[in-house]
Amino acid sequence: MGLVTRGVRNAFRSGARAFSIIAILGLSIGLALAMLLAHQAVEQKINSVKSSVGNTITVSPAGVRGFEGGGNALTQTQVDKLKTIEHVSSVGESLNDRLTSTNTNLQSAVEAGDLGRRFSQNSGQTFTPPPGFSSDGQSGGNLSFTPPVTLLGTTDPTSLSSTQGGGSFSLKSGKAFDSASTDNVALVGSALATKNNLSVGSTFTAYGNIVTVVGVFDAGNTFSNNQLIMPLATVQKLSTQTGSLTGAVVNVDSISNVDSVTAQVKSVLGTTADVTSSKSQVQDSIAPLQNIASISSYSLVGAVVAGAVIVLLSMVMIVRERRREIGVIKAIGASNLKIMSQFMAEAVTLTILGAVVGIVLGVVAGNPITKMLVNNSSSSTTSQLMGAGTEEAGPQIFRSIGGGVRDNLSNIHASVGWDIILYGLGAAVLIATIGSMSASWFIAKVRPAEVMRTE
Amino acid sequence: MLKVSNITKTFSADGGDVTAVHDISLAVPDGKFVSIIGKSGSGKSTLLSLLGALDKPTSGSIEVDGQNITKLSEHALIGYRCRKIGFVFQSYNLVPNLTAIENVMLPMEFAKTSKAKRRLRAQELLDQVGLSDGKQDRKPTRLSGGEQQRVAIARALANKPKLILADEPTGNLDSQTGKMIFDLLHNLSKSESTTVIVVTHDLSIAGRTDKAFRLQDGKLVTQ
Ligand SMILES: Nc1ncnc2c1ncn2[C@@H]1O[C@H](COP(=O)(O)OP(=O)(O)OP(=O)(O)O)[C@@H](O)[C@H]1O
Ligand SMILES: [Mg+2]
Repeated sequence: MGLVTRGVRNAFRSGARAFSIIAILGLSIGLALAMLLAHQAVEQKINSVKSSVGNTITVSPAGVRGFEGGGNALTQTQVDKLKTIEHVSSVGESLNDRLTSTNTNLQSAVEAGDLGRRFSQNSGQTFTPPPGFSSDGQSGGNLSFTPPVTLLGTTDPTSLSSTQGGGSFSLKSGKAFDSASTDNVALVGSALATKNNLSVGSTFTAYGNIVTVVGVFDAGNTFSNNQLIMPLATVQKLSTQTGSLTGAVVNVDSISNVDSVTAQVKSVLGTTADVTSSKSQVQDSIAPLQNIASISSYSLVGAVVAGAVIVLLSMVMIVRERRREIGVIKAIGASNLKIMSQFMAEAVTLTILGAVVGIVLGVVAGNPITKMLVNNSSSSTTSQLMGAGTEEAGPQIFRSIGGGVRDNLSNIHASVGWDIILYGLGAAVLIATIGSMSASWFIAKVRPAEVMRTE
Repeated sequence: MLKVSNITKTFSADGGDVTAVHDISLAVPDGKFVSIIGKSGSGKSTLLSLLGALDKPTSGSIEVDGQNITKLSEHALIGYRCRKIGFVFQSYNLVPNLTAIENVMLPMEFAKTSKAKRRLRAQELLDQVGLSDGKQDRKPTRLSGGEQQRVAIARALANKPKLILADEPTGNLDSQTGKMIFDLLHNLSKSESTTVIVVTHDLSIAGRTDKAFRLQDGKLVTQ
């Protein structure tokens, strides 16, 4: 039997003590890992929020938000100038339109409802009433109104920016078209696809042309799922608006350059466009996340230190208890080093078991803890954000940005990788080393002559 | 040959210095069985710990096989304790969570004896000290005092030491068991030709050894 075996066996000399050391250690390592998971998840989210929402500048024709207001379209020449501004990483261009029964065979998946009828009446548009209905101008609004299908012509088919209904784009079938495509192809929102029995390969008509469905997407919200996404060039051609744009999203390389780029975009476009950046809102929303990130890293360090202290105190206690035994082993010919290694093996055994318990706890508790931390601090942010948005500018944009950030916060998901388990074991070995190093000092101090003294 | 020349050991305690061993010189030829007697506090255990290199004398020299062990490095002293000395204590001092046979194998592990040999030799030694097969795999708590002391003697013999140092080995045992343990040590000293030094209060035991040294206040009185 070697000294490692002896050390391992010594770890279980007192079952109750081994159990409590492993349990306490497991708790502290578990907490440390949960904090690490939370930290990683939150950091990741901060980065993705920073790079996906915080660094964009939204450009729309002056006086227009979505299909509200009025004004003249932006021109391709104007938007091309934006691409040459320094720190602009890309510019997403879009031309949006509405398809009604006059220019498509598609039926909207959204019912008009009270709001639709009211909006329709207020908009001054008239639609042909279906058989059996007559527009009588009652307070219920335009009874015959069916909401149109929104068409997004875009160079960036997989991102649903705030002005385009929002939500997170995910393909359910098929694949997205190329950004420079000029084909008569479309991605269809899942609700629209169901309503019209469309799947990949189906066709429908728009502006008198046949369009082929290349993919079906889900954006997670009813509005977006009632949309069509087609290549920008195709929409410009079919709707005879070549060279016109109804919106552009300027992506800036870093959130810190957003202000200077916004100023340049404004000077390039002058009064022809409304330019808004989402930076300030995003920074407000990241602040609590950053708090969580730092809280979790402090807790991580705290939990590792607590673990080390637990092992340290236990080992000191064990060494003091076995003082006589250590003396005896020294008297019969063991070196300090051998005895220390034996105690090290004991500490490592307890710590590894603690780590296993801890890793299981950490993995199980990581997500709930992350969610709890995030939920407690994000509810205030979201309302703040929405309040600020409605005051400043067009409600639609900011409502969707607010929604996007809120989605971001609740979507934070702690994911467990091998790295976490390695960190756990690494922490365990670190803890065991620190813990048994101090015990070593006590071991070295035991004088073998002490065994001659009877107790 | 064990040759002790003018060793003194002084402890500095709270109430001033205590000289536990005072200028002692003695010689024990190989294979002899000798005893050290004296009143409590006369310095017997201290002398034994100096001989076993558990402690260093304040002055003087101890020669074993012509080698002055008071001059050895810390590392060499570990080797000396491991291979040249066997200890037997009054309170047995077996390692509590190791079985009898594992306790006997322990010094052989420190002396780097091969694994296979350890077990064989440990079995042999336990047979020799009269611990029956069924008890060799028991932990010390399940053995009687006399049985534990047998295991301790087997452990002391494990590395075939030059010198066995026993500090009141029968002190915790009834007189009959004590006599058996004593006889065991006596016989082993003859069969293994090991020098045995026993500290005892029991004058009848001391009378049966090759030689008895009497200590009084740290000094050697009779030779
Ligand atoms: N580590 C120490 N520090 C201080 N004084 C000590 C130490 N060890 C022994 N002494 C003192 O040295 C003297 C001799 O002690 P020792 O243990 O050698 O006596 P002993 O003859 O073995 O006694 P006993 O028969 O009771 O075991 C005593 O006065 C004791 O108090
Ligand atoms: Mg004594």
